[in-house]
Amino acid sequence: MSRTNTAADLPRSEKEPIRPQNAASAHIRTSTPRFSIYRLTFLPAVLMFVLWEVFARINVTLELFNPRFLPPPTMLIEEGWRLAQSGIILDSMISSTTRIVIGFIIGCAAALIAGVLIAKFKSVEYWFSPVLTLIGPIPALALLPLFIIWFGIGEFPKILLIAWTTFIPVLVYTLDGFKTVPSTLVRSALSLGATDRQVFIRVMLPAAIPHFLVGAQVSLGLSFSALIVSEMMGASSGLGYIIVDARNYFKMTNMFIAIILIGLEYSLFSWLLRLVERKALAWRKDGLRDAVQR
Amino acid sequence: MAGVGNVKLEVRNVSKSYGGRLVLRNIDLTVEEREFICILGHSGCGKSTLLNMIAGYITPDNGEILVDGKPVTGPSRSRGMVFQDHALFPWLTVLNNIAFGPRVQKVPKAQAKEMAREYLRLVGLEAYESHYPAQLSGGMKQRVGIARALAGRPDILLMDEPFGALDVLTRESMQAELRRICETLKPTVLFVTHSISEAVYLADRVVIMKDGIIADVFEVGMPHPRSSHSPQFDEAMVRIERVLMGSDRPDAGYPTEETLYAPKAGSA
Repeated sequence: MSRTNTAADLPRSEKEPIRPQNAASAHIRTSTPRFSIYRLTFLPAVLMFVLWEVFARINVTLELFNPRFLPPPTMLIEEGWRLAQSGIILDSMISSTTRIVIGFIIGCAAALIAGVLIAKFKSVEYWFSPVLTLIGPIPALALLPLFIIWFGIGEFPKILLIAWTTFIPVLVYTLDGFKTVPSTLVRSALSLGATDRQVFIRVMLPAAIPHFLVGAQVSLGLSFSALIVSEMMGASSGLGYIIVDARNYFKMTNMFIAIILIGLEYSLFSWLLRLVERKALAWRKDGLRDAVQR
Repeated sequence: MAGVGNVKLEVRNVSKSYGGRLVLRNIDLTVEEREFICILGHSGCGKSTLLNMIAGYITPDNGEILVDGKPVTGPSRSRGMVFQDHALFPWLTVLNNIAFGPRVQKVPKAQAKEMAREYLRLVGLEAYESHYPAQLSGGMKQRVGIARALAGRPDILLMDEPFGALDVLTRESMQAELRRICETLKPTVLFVTHSISEAVYLADRVVIMKDGIIADVFEVGMPHPRSSHSPQFDEAMVRIERVLMGSDRPDAGYPTEETLYAPKAGSA
């Protein structure tokens, strides 16, 4: 949801070119605080739901297609409330959140450790890099049936799938981070008397952290797909399970509720990750936000 | 200024080639303690290669480099380096950047910070100790770079075109600043530059490099602070320019069609 922030910020600069003939008035206009529609970051989302509601209501009366296919949001809220009272939503959210948190953290940690080992030891790189380039591109979801046959339908194969999905992109980005450390940084550390070990801990690692975080952000979306798919196959709880269950019993409202909850949960996690990123990279001062003062 | 100090650095018959091309040919150079040497030359003359070799980042093909009589085998704290792109650690504050040297040399944290503050005062940036490098201007970054190199307490300070990326005004104030620091601490400095006036302003001796050899060594022998408007300064510049441009003719320094395009051997 917070993605709308940046998306809504962008057009402002494009729509307000300072025309030469009234540059002065433009200057005054921008320097005084005034109402701007672009501050209402929630507006596009609200408008989407309103349009959806109107269209679905029209469809209920006119029956352009089966109204069950697209229930209006107010009905979803009603049904969602009923579902929440039965405890199903809370249970599903708890089991989905547990899986994604454990799987994602294990995947990130493993990728960081593997990245460090590969970057630090030539022998590790020699033996593992070719293997990783071989199995890395295989879509993780293709492995799920295999995992289920090997490890059953418990929590383990689900978490393993999420961790594996997270692992590959994070590792690739982290290794890229180690490889792109500017050589002058390493050189200056050595000339200040740092040992190889100190260079690694005090220079290579902090220089690779931004890349690691980008990898984590990228793989978050993939991890969520892994979560939902693993819950669709051989699970008895979770948001993905609600969707499959709803399909089996043609409970369209439940399906929509689960889809919306997945979206909200992803947004929440993405926001948390960005918060971590902002804290960890407070020293950075670049990018669009700082390119031009607005 | 050269005085009768001990020999600090000795470069003996050093050569280096890259891919069959000889970059440095039989370089011999002796630097005494507390001397300020400028290595001057066009880009590609091998001056940075020589400096990187003294720093220990690259190894000579033959010959040897001695610091205090001990051969250089790799980078160490005895030779501090200031880079053109300052190479500050972007994730550390100014103070922690300067404290990096003492910290990796196992100085206790509080003491390292105290040392760092001292060097920060020396370059006049006390007010910026908790800033990150990205928040500083180019000149300020380079001051921090110098303070960081000095805080590592090197025997020799190596500077690779440290002011090359700065604008002219900042550059001049940085040169004065560096001279002031040198009067206070009296370090041994090897300073690579392609600016003749910079070399004449800063150095006790100017080593002029051309096509991988030392073409000439020029004793400046003027008292500090030097003014670029004095006749001696002009004379020194003209003499160095003549060596650098490779001819003793009166129009030396202004490349003509002939010096630009004629084959080297037959041109004179």
